[in-house]
Amino acid sequence: MSEWKELGFKAGLEIHHQINTEKKLFCKCPVQPYSDVWHAEMLRHMRPTMSELGEYDGTALMEFKTKKEIIYRLNRETVCTYEMDDDPPFPINQEAVDKALTIALAFQCKIVGELHVIRKQYLDGSIPAGFQRTTIVGVDGILTLASGKQVEIIQIGLEEDSCREVSDIGHRITYYTDRLSIPLIEVVTGPTLDTPEEAAEATERIGRLLRATGFARRGIGAVRQDVNLSIEGGTRVEIKGVPRIPRIPALLSYEAHRQAALLEIAAELKVRGFAEGDRPGELIKTNPKSVEFENPILRATQIAGDEIALVKLPQATGFLSKSLTQGHTFADEFAGRVRVVACLDSTPNLYHTDGASGGLNEVDRKTVIEEAGASEKDVVVVLFGNTRDITTAANEVLDRWAEAILGIPNETRQALADNTTDFERVLPGPDRMYPDTDSPPFEIVEKRIEKAAKYVPELPWDREERYRKLGIPEDIAVDLAIDPLAELLDKTIREEKLQPLRAGEVLSRFKKAERRKHPDLKQPSKEQWQQILDAMADKKVYREGVPTLIRQLCAQPEISLNNILEDESRIPLNNQTINSHITKEISDFDFTSAYHKNNIPTLIMCNIMKKVSGQIPGAEIWALVKEQVAMHD
Amino acid sequence: MGNIETENIRIAPGVKLPPVDPQEDFKGYRGRAKALLEKTGARVWCDVVLDTARGEFVGVLLPRSETADDRHLVIKLTYNGYNIGVAVDTITGITINGYKRGHYQIPEKAFPYDEAKPNVTLLGTGGTIASRLDYRTGAVIPAFSPGELYGAVPELADICNLQTYKLYGEFSENIGPKHWAGTAEAIAKEIEKGVAGVVIGHGTDTMHYTAAALTFMLQDLPVPVVVVGSQRSSDRPSSDAAYNLIRAVQTAAYGDFAEVMICMFGPTSDSYDLLHRGTRVRKMHSSYRSTFRTLSDTPIARVDDEGFHPIKSETQYRHRNPENKVKVRNVFDERVSIVWYYPNMQPDVIDSLVDNGYKGIIIAGTGLGHVNKPLYPALKRAIDAGVHIFMTVQTLWGYVQMFVYDTGRDIMELGVTPLGNMLPEVAYVKLGWVLGHTHEREEVIEMMRTTVNGEWTEREPFDGYLLFQGGLPELEYYYKRYRL
Repeated sequence: MSEWKELGFKAGLEIHHQINTEKKLFCKCPVQPYSDVWHAEMLRHMRPTMSELGEYDGTALMEFKTKKEIIYRLNRETVCTYEMDDDPPFPINQEAVDKALTIALAFQCKIVGELHVIRKQYLDGSIPAGFQRTTIVGVDGILTLASGKQVEIIQIGLEEDSCREVSDIGHRITYYTDRLSIPLIEVVTGPTLDTPEEAAEATERIGRLLRATGFARRGIGAVRQDVNLSIEGGTRVEIKGVPRIPRIPALLSYEAHRQAALLEIAAELKVRGFAEGDRPGELIKTNPKSVEFENPILRATQIAGDEIALVKLPQATGFLSKSLTQGHTFADEFAGRVRVVACLDSTPNLYHTDGASGGLNEVDRKTVIEEAGASEKDVVVVLFGNTRDITTAANEVLDRWAEAILGIPNETRQALADNTTDFERVLPGPDRMYPDTDSPPFEIVEKRIEKAAKYVPELPWDREERYRKLGIPEDIAVDLAIDPLAELLDKTIREEKLQPLRAGEVLSRFKKAERRKHPDLKQPSKEQWQQILDAMADKKVYREGVPTLIRQLCAQPEISLNNILEDESRIPLNNQTINSHITKEISDFDFTSAYHKNNIPTLIMCNIMKKVSGQIPGAEIWALVKEQVAMHD
Repeated sequence: MGNIETENIRIAPGVKLPPVDPQEDFKGYRGRAKALLEKTGARVWCDVVLDTARGEFVGVLLPRSETADDRHLVIKLTYNGYNIGVAVDTITGITINGYKRGHYQIPEKAFPYDEAKPNVTLLGTGGTIASRLDYRTGAVIPAFSPGELYGAVPELADICNLQTYKLYGEFSENIGPKHWAGTAEAIAKEIEKGVAGVVIGHGTDTMHYTAAALTFMLQDLPVPVVVVGSQRSSDRPSSDAAYNLIRAVQTAAYGDFAEVMICMFGPTSDSYDLLHRGTRVRKMHSSYRSTFRTLSDTPIARVDDEGFHPIKSETQYRHRNPENKVKVRNVFDERVSIVWYYPNMQPDVIDSLVDNGYKGIIIAGTGLGHVNKPLYPALKRAIDAGVHIFMTVQTLWGYVQMFVYDTGRDIMELGVTPLGNMLPEVAYVKLGWVLGHTHEREEVIEMMRTTVNGEWTEREPFDGYLLFQGGLPELEYYYKRYRL
C-alpha cells in the first residue's frame, strides 16, 4: 500500500482563472494590465453579517476580530463607484457569461437553468463590498487524467476577481483595486485526487483545457490555484495561492505530514485524559513588571511599556516542540493564529517553555515557569505586544490549544516559499453565502447553450496525441494543443496543401521566437496567420522567409500581406537566377580564409541566405551551392 | 409543467413535513412552478434532489422572488451554499430528503442597562439601518428591535441605554406628511420623558424632507433629534449602517446640539459622519455613502470616535438646553406642489394644479429664479384664485435674486414671492406646514419669510458650495493625501 493510501490522502482543487473580456463583470470599467498608479485612497472596515439561513460564518467572525483598517487605492481609469461599493452592480457582463458557458461545457458540466448571483463574504478586505459576487454556471462535470481516471468537476463558477494586496502590516491592510471585478472562472474538483502527483496533473490539465478555449487571460496573477487536502481522520484544509504546478507534490506531501502529526497529537492528548470541548489552559498574568527578562525582545517590550502575557497550557510538555513537518513545530500553529488574528506580525511573535525551540534561554524559561505558577509538565506561552492585541492573542492561543484535541482544525492556509504552509484564516463554509439582492436571476436558454457549445475546443491531450501521430514534434504538439491557432493547423491537415510540420513550425516556433524578440509589437491576427500559411502553400514564400514576414506584419499592421509579398526582394526566384547569385558569391569568396575546407559551402550558404532568404527553399539552394563548390574545386 | 411521472416523486423514509401552510410553502412561486410543487408535494425549505434533463441538482428549495418568472425553482446547493435556478420543464424526478426551515434573525440579546449612561430613544420609521432578506421581492426589508440592534451593533451599549420603538415600517418613498406629524408627536413624548436625545431611523431617499418637516413641527428643542439611515443595507459587511447608527446615538447622547439634524457619512471612507442641519441638507447621489450634503452652507459639525468637531462657530447652532420646552406644531396642508421649470413649459401645467384645488406652489426656477413669459397669465390666474406661489432656484446652490433681470421683477409683480436660498424641497415642506396654520396671504408670506432654523440664511459662506469633481488640483491633493 502506498504511503498516500495509508494516510487516506484526498485532495481537491479550486482553480481560478481570469477570462479575457473587454469590460469587467459587473460594471463597465475596462480590463487593463495592472498599474501601481493611484489617484485616491479610501478607508473601510468590515462587519460580519448573517447568511440567509440565519447563521454567521466562522471566517467572518474571525476576520472581524482582527479589527483591520482597510485602505483601497483607486485608479481613475480602472475603477468606478461600483468597485468602491458606492454603486449597485450593473447587469452581469454577457460576454463573460457566454465564455463561462463554453468553459463549463468543455468540462462536460450540466448547465443551470437560471443564473443566480450570490454574495460570498470575505471580511479580509480583499473586496470593498465585503463579499464577492459569484454565480454557478454549471455543475457535475468530468476531467479525465492520463491514466483514464475520471475526476469529478463539482462546479464551474463565474465570479469577480478581488483586489491586489499592497501590504498587510499590523492592523492596516492596503490594496490596489484595478484587478477587482475582472471576470474569473472557478473550476472546482471533487476530493478525489489520491496522490500529490495526481493533484499536480489535474491542476495542469485544468489549466491546459482553460487555455485551449482561448478565453483564458494571460499574465502574472491571471491564474490562482487552491488545493484542498484531507487525510483519514481529519478534516479539509484549504491551501491558497499554490504558485507553480511543479511545487504541488512537495507542498502536498509536507501538508499531509503536518496533518498526520496533528492527528498524533490529538491521539496522545486523549491518552492523557483531554476530552473534546475542554478548554484547558488559562491566561495567567499580564505584564509581570517585577521580572527582568534577558531576552532582548521581551526586554524591549518592557522598556517600551507594552504588555507581556503568560498563557499556561497544562500538561503540554513535549507537544509545542513536536515537529509537524519540515522545519515546523506545533508552536508554529499558535504563532500563525496570533499573527493573523491578533495582527502581531513581527517574527517571532511568541516564545514558549517547551524546550530549546521555544526561544527562551534557561534563565528566562525558569522565570516564566515560576511567574506562571507552572509545573515542568506544563508549557507557558509568552506573548508580547500592545495591550489590545495581547488579549486577542492570548485567546487565540487558548482556542488553538482547545482545538488540538480535535486534531486538524478547518483552516485556510497559505503556501510558503519552502513548500510548507501557514495559517491564513478559518476555513469558510456555506454560511457565508447570501443571495445578491441587487441582481435579478436570469435564464440560460437552450439556444444559448448550443451556441456556446460551438466554441468548445478539442481536449488538449487528445489533440496532442493526434499531432504526434502526424509526426509533429513534441514541442509544437504540446504548444498548439492549447492554442486557438491550432484551428489553422487542423485546416492545413485537412487541405493537404502544406506539410503539417511546416504549418506547426510557423504557428508555434516562429510565432514564439518573434514574440520573444519583439514583445512590444502587436501580434498577427488569426486571419494574417492563415494568409501566411496560404502564401506558403502557394509557394509565394518559403519557410526561411517567414520570420521576417511576421516581423513586417507586426511592425506595419496597416500593410496587407500581399503588398509585402509584391516587394521585389520577396518574389520567388528560379534556379537560373539563384545560380548566378551563387556564382557571384563563389567568385567573391576568399578561399584562403576558411579554416577547413568542409566549411566552405556553409559559409557561402550563409552569405546567400542573407540576400535571398525565403525566395526559394533553402534545401534547393544548398544543393546548388554544394554542386557549384564541388565544381569550383 | 415538466415531464414528471408520479413514480418519480419520492419522499425519503422518515421525512416529516410540517402541516401545510399555503402562505409559506410556495412562497413566491406561481403558475407552472407552483403547480409542480403542488403535484410533487415539495415545498419551500425541503431538501430535494432534482433529476433534470441537464443533470441532477441537490439542495434546499428556497422561496422565490414574486417578480421572477414561473418557469424555475430556486435551490441552494447543499455542499457549497450557492443558489441556482432549475428550469421546471427539465425536471423529470424529485426526491424529498428532509425539511429545515430557515430563520433569518439577528441574535437578539437584552440591551444592557447602565445607570451612569444617558438614555436615548431610537424611533424606527423604516429604512435599512437594520434589515433582512425578503424572499417575496428578493430585496431587503428592515428588521428592528433593541435586542436585534444590540446583536448587530454591540458597540451601542458602550454609549448609552437604548430604547427603541417602531413607529412605521416604510421605505422612505412612502413616508409623507402623516408620518411627519406622527413622528413629531412621538419625539416630543420621548423628550418629555427626559431622554438625552432622540434618533430617528429613516430610509435615505426622503430623509431630508422628514428632517425639514421635523424642524418646523418641533420647536424649542431641548435636546438633539438625529435622523439617520444607511446607503448600503446592513446585510452587507461593508454597510455604513452600523457606523452611522453609532455616530447618531453618540450625538443624541452627548452632542451639545438642540436641532433636528441628519447624521450620515462625510466622505465615502469610514472616517467620520457629518451633522447636517435639517433644513439645509439634501440627498445628492443615488448610491454614494456620502450622499448627504449641506447646500449653500456648511454642516454643523463632524463626529467621529474622538467626539464632536464643530464646523460652525458656537453662535451658529442651537445648544442643548434642558430649560427648553418642546412645542409640537405638527399641522400640514397637503394641497401643495413643486413645479420644476423647464424651457417651453406650457401654462396648462400651472392651470391644472389650480383646477385640481392646489393651494400652494413652489417653483424651482432657472438661474436666479425665472420662468418664461407664456406662464405669466397662468401665474396671475393662480394667484387671483388664492394660490400661494413662491420662487426657489433649481441650481440648488445660491439665492433667488429677482431684481437683477426684468423677468424677475415682472414675476414678482404677478405676486410670486422669492424665498432666498431655501431649497425647493424644504420650501415645499414649509409651505405645507404654513398652510396648515393659515391661508391668509400676508400671514403665509410672513411665515414663509421668517426663518425657523436655517432654511433661509442671510449669508452664504465661501465654502458652502462644494462639488466633488476630478481635475481640481486642490481636490486631487486632498484625496490622495487624506482619503476620499
